[in-house]
Amino acid sequence: MGFGMLRRFAVSALLFLACLPLAAQTDWIRTGTNLGVEKVRLAVPDFKSGPGGESLATAFNTTLWNDLYQAGLFDLVSKSFNPAQPGQRSEVQLAQWGAPPPNASMLAFGNLNVANNQVVVQGWLYDVKNPQSPQVLGKQYTDAATVENARLIAHKFADEIIFRLGGGIAGIAESKIYFISNRTGHKEVWVMDYDGSNQHPITHIGSIVLSPRASPDGSRIAFSWVGQSWEIGIYSTELQRLVAFPRFGGTNSAPAFSSDGTKLAFSSSRTGDPEIYTVDAATGGNMKRLTNMKGPDTSPTWNPKTNAQIAFVSGRSGLPQIYTMDVDGANVTRMSDQGYAISPSWSPNGQFLVFAWIRHYGPGAPGAQDIYIMDVASHQWVQLTHDGGRNDFPSWAPDGRHIVFQSSRTGRDEIWSMLADGSQETQLTNNGSNSMPNWSAK
Amino acid sequence: MSATLVSTVPLPHPPVESQNVLANENKGLSQSIPTPQVQPPPDAIAIPDKQVKQKPQTKPAPPNNAKKKPVEEAKNNEVPYGEGGPVSSMYSNAGTNFAMGNTKGGISMGQGGDFGSRYAWYVDAVRRKISENWLQYQIDPHTPAGKKTFLVFEINRDGSPSSVKVEQSSGIPSLDQSAMRALQRIDTFGPLPGGYSGNKVSVEFWFEK
Repeated sequence: MGFGMLRRFAVSALLFLACLPLAAQTDWIRTGTNLGVEKVRLAVPDFKSGPGGESLATAFNTTLWNDLYQAGLFDLVSKSFNPAQPGQRSEVQLAQWGAPPPNASMLAFGNLNVANNQVVVQGWLYDVKNPQSPQVLGKQYTDAATVENARLIAHKFADEIIFRLGGGIAGIAESKIYFISNRTGHKEVWVMDYDGSNQHPITHIGSIVLSPRASPDGSRIAFSWVGQSWEIGIYSTELQRLVAFPRFGGTNSAPAFSSDGTKLAFSSSRTGDPEIYTVDAATGGNMKRLTNMKGPDTSPTWNPKTNAQIAFVSGRSGLPQIYTMDVDGANVTRMSDQGYAISPSWSPNGQFLVFAWIRHYGPGAPGAQDIYIMDVASHQWVQLTHDGGRNDFPSWAPDGRHIVFQSSRTGRDEIWSMLADGSQETQLTNNGSNSMPNWSAK
Repeated sequence: MSATLVSTVPLPHPPVESQNVLANENKGLSQSIPTPQVQPPPDAIAIPDKQVKQKPQTKPAPPNNAKKKPVEEAKNNEVPYGEGGPVSSMYSNAGTNFAMGNTKGGISMGQGGDFGSRYAWYVDAVRRKISENWLQYQIDPHTPAGKKTFLVFEINRDGSPSSVKVEQSSGIPSLDQSAMRALQRIDTFGPLPGGYSGNKVSVEFWFEK
C-alpha cells in the first residue's frame, strides 16, 4: 500500500467519522420531539363561505392555515396551486389534487355558513391517495357567530387533523401560554393563546409577580410575589383571587407543579441558603427538603412522565449548572459541563431537558445566552437558538413539539415560540416587556 | 544476550469478512452470457484420426428389475440475464414499503381483512411513527446490506402497541434490538379509526438495513 493510498484511506475514514455524529444528532432530536423526518403534504383550500359569513371565513381560514403550519408536521400546498375550492364532498375530484402541482396526499376542505346568528362549519379530511374510501375525518361545528368562535372552531378542527395524522399526539391549538407582562404598570400574570392572540391579564395584585406556573388542570396558577417578603402565591382562575397558602419564611421562588398536580416544588431560603423543597400543592403542608448543599439551589422542574425526578439549577460548584435528582433528593447528577446554565424545563415524554446556557461565560467570552436541548440519558445536546440577544425561560408545549421562550433579540424582552428542533421561530408578543412564559399542560 | 532487529512485527491479519460468492444464499443479480461456440466452416473435411483398436464390448449387465427412482429435477433458480432485482419479500406485495436514508422497511396490517386498503392513512401514520422512532445509529455499522428483522405486534383500540415480538430475527442482534426499541419508544399510534369495528389490529413490520 503506497503512501498516497494510505492517506486517501485516512481521509475517507476521517470524513466518515465527521459525518456520523451529525447524522445521529439530527436523528435523535427529531425522533424525541415527535417531529419526524417526513412531512405529510396537505392541501387546505379556503373553506367556502355563504352570504354574510365572509369576515368569519377569513378569520377561520387564516387560523386553520396557521395552526396546521405551526404544527410542524405538514408540508402545506401553496394556495396558488389549488385547482379548485370544494365546499362539499361532491365537489371534490381527487385526481386533480393528487397530481402535480398540488401533489397532495391529504386534503382538508369544507364550508362555513352563517344563519340566525349561528355559524355552522362543516369540515372534512380526505386521503387523496385512497379513492375507494377517502374520508378520514368529517366534522360539523355550530356556535354563536363571532370571529372569536370562528377562530376556536378552526383550532378544534386543526387539532383533529393533527391528532389523526400526528400519531395520536393531541394538537396544541387550544393550549394557553402564561407569562409575566408589565403592560399595566406592574408585573402581573398574563395569558394568551398559543399563537399570541387573545392576550389578557389574569392577576391584578399591584405588586411584583414572577415565574408563573399553571397547574395541570389549569385551575390554579402558582408564582412568586412580593407580599411581606418573596412568597409563593396560588391564584385560582375559577375564583379569580389569591387563595390561602402558607408563608414559609425567607425568600421563596420558582414554584413548579408535578404533572399529576399533587405536589409543588420550589426554592426557599428559610434556613439561610436557597434550597429545594416540596409541599402538597393543595395545602402547602407535608414539607420535605430535598437539597442540602452550600450554594443556592433553585428553578426545580419535574420529570412530567414519571414525577420521580426533579431537574434544578445549583451554584454548588460556582457558576450555576443544571442538575437532576430523585424526588427524595438522592442520585444528584450534573448535566451541564461548563459555562452558565439556568432555567431547565423537562419535556413531556421525559427524554429531554431544555434550558438557557451561556456556554462560554466570563470576561472576553462571547457570552450569548441561547436555548439548548439535552438528551437526559446520554447528555448529548443541541443548540436551538443562534440569533443573539439573551434567550431564557424555555418551556415545553404539551405535545413535546414546541418550545416557548423569552428573547431580547428585538431589543426588548418578548415571548417567542419555536419547534423543538429550533425551526419556525415566531414572535408572539409586541407590547411592553414580556417574560417567563409557561405553556399550559393541555 | 543478543537482540535481533526485526523490521516489522508480524501482526495477525485483521479478520476481513468477505461474502463467499459461491456459498451465498442470495441469487445472483447478474449472470454472464455464455460465449457462443464458434462453428467450423461447413465445407471443412475432417482429418482422419489414427485408427484405434476397438476394445471388445463387455456383456451388458442383466436388466435391473427395481423401479428407477424418478430423478428430482433441480430447481431453476437462475436469474435471467438483466432481470435481477431485490429479493422478493413476503410482505412486499401486501403492504406498504418505504425507504429512509440507506435503509428500508415495510408494513402490513390486519391480515385477512381490508384494514390496509380502507384505512390507508392510518397504516401510513403507523409507518411514519415507527420509522421516525427507529434510531439507525444503534445498528452495528458492519451489518451487511439486506439483513431484515420481522416484528409482529398488535395495536389496541386506544392506539397503544402491545405483544411486540420478533417474528424472524435478522441474525444481527443490534438490528433486532433497534427495531424492538423503536416500538418500545412509542406510547400510542393514535386510536384506531372510528369506522373500524375490531378492538385491535395486528401488524407485521420489517426493518431492513
